Amino acid sequence: MSADVERERPRHEDLVDERLVSWYFLAALGYMFISMLGGFLMGFQLIRHNPLRGIELLSPGRWRMIHTNAIAYGFLANAFLGALHWAVPRLALRPVLDRRLSYFIFGAWQVVVLSTAVGIMLGQAQGLEWGETPVWIDPLALAGLLLVAINFLAPIVRLRGPMYVTLWYFTAAFIWTFLTYAMGNFIPQYFVSGTSAGAVGGLFIHDLVGLFVTPLGWGLMYYFVPIMLKKPVWSHGLSLVGFWGLAFFYPLTGIHHFLYTPIPMFLQYGAVISTIAVEMVVTTVLINFFVTLRGATGALTNNLPIRWFYTGMVFYGLTCLQCAFQTTLTFQALIHFTDWVVGHAHMVMFGVFSMWLLGTMTYLFPRLLKTDWYSRTLCEWHYWLSALGIGLMSADLIVAGPFQGYFWASLLPWDVSVDFSIPFWAVRLVAGTMMFTGLLVFLTNLALTWAQARRAEEPAVLAAAA
Amino acid sequence: MSTPISARPPASTRKQTLTTIVLALIILVPCLLGFGNKFKEFILLFRGDVDGVFAITPIMNYLLASLGFFCLFLWAILQGMFRDLEQPKKTMLENERMLDDED
Repeated sequence: MSADVERERPRHEDLVDERLVSWYFLAALGYMFISMLGGFLMGFQLIRHNPLRGIELLSPGRWRMIHTNAIAYGFLANAFLGALHWAVPRLALRPVLDRRLSYFIFGAWQVVVLSTAVGIMLGQAQGLEWGETPVWIDPLALAGLLLVAINFLAPIVRLRGPMYVTLWYFTAAFIWTFLTYAMGNFIPQYFVSGTSAGAVGGLFIHDLVGLFVTPLGWGLMYYFVPIMLKKPVWSHGLSLVGFWGLAFFYPLTGIHHFLYTPIPMFLQYGAVISTIAVEMVVTTVLINFFVTLRGATGALTNNLPIRWFYTGMVFYGLTCLQCAFQTTLTFQALIHFTDWVVGHAHMVMFGVFSMWLLGTMTYLFPRLLKTDWYSRTLCEWHYWLSALGIGLMSADLIVAGPFQGYFWASLLPWDVSVDFSIPFWAVRLVAGTMMFTGLLVFLTNLALTWAQARRAEEPAVLAAAA
Repeated sequence: MSTPISARPPASTRKQTLTTIVLALIILVPCLLGFGNKFKEFILLFRGDVDGVFAITPIMNYLLASLGFFCLFLWAILQGMFRDLEQPKKTMLENERMLDDED
């Protein structure tokens, strides 16, 4: 590979389409705003003050699906695609297959996400958690995922020699995401039903987290953390143990969402065992990153993206610790259907992956706009409101869960558990408000930074014109 | 100009290698035993109870995905992808430095 580098001497501007990266990030932030606005309004509904009462198209059931889909396919997918357009060409030292294809995928993906939102509002949701995408959009979405895989795999497969762990994660993610989406959206819809469909649904929900966002997220961490710390990851060998461990153990974990169901117990136990295996794998990954930080802990205070990243890793460790409890049969009987699970889901999606992507944006936007952030203080506010907000929300819901479970087990009327939960849901609303305010602060800072970049550009443009 | 990273002594130490092997064994051995045992139970159920057939779907999904990655793993070994485990992390940083210097 080094001989190729000497011959070609690739330049950043030939590899990375910065405009496209910016577009993806802006689209992602737009969807995040919609999703968080939905969550914010839903928070009022939980404390019996639904601001959208009587508007059928915006009923809580529909808004909930828009909230989750906008984060998964709107924010996470767009932000990951933007970051991939930066990272993959720089790692492979080759551009993506075709820039026109990249722009086509960008447009097509926005059509898929917006159509999903419209379909859900019109009551066409598919009966599968996180697979609510209306059935007529599924083939388009799958075709889009195939094009994404082709576009990004083209530069990767041309590499020769040992490959950096990030590219292993990305390669797997392109394949897994396509397969996972096909499995979850087509098999239960057209081929199997009943318990079998339930088992596939369990695999889909969990694999969407573990085989779509997890490999992309960790891949980005293995790329950005060493760059920012200016030192390589502690052990590349250990990072490969983490990758192959995820590849072989993760796909069977999904059934741990269906403990005590008619699915045969050996499958449920198998899911528990593979979950424990994944816990061990996660431990190796966390050890690797925290040992890499040794001697550079000052970055946690000075380097904001690094702080976002490592906060996300702490939350990742906590969510996996939760998983260890959740997969024990006795504990699962208590917390199933309670707010414990909601707290867990928010900690994974916001506390881990959104944190990593917001950290990535905090690092990349100044490079894309060729100027520093307008206000470092606003960046700090964004971080602290987000980190404290998600910490408070997760803790609140995780504490509420076992209480709700015991209320239900005691066979008291349902209303009693709801009345008990209201204070917890009020705290949840406060936490959500903090996170939403953090996003608004970030958007404001971004707009001011963009204006600052435009002002800096003007003299150069005028000079060139003269 | 600073010394190129690749010219420095290898960062991989005996301790790192040992840690990697120990962690790999801790993960692999119990999980392979557990999975093998449960797969045996599955075969017994499949032979004795027709209703157990529906459990094939998730198992087949898993086995197909894992088979693909097992083939990829073997291909990677044959391609020498794991010959120098620590070199890619240095090459990555060198390439990043080169791209940023060009900027």
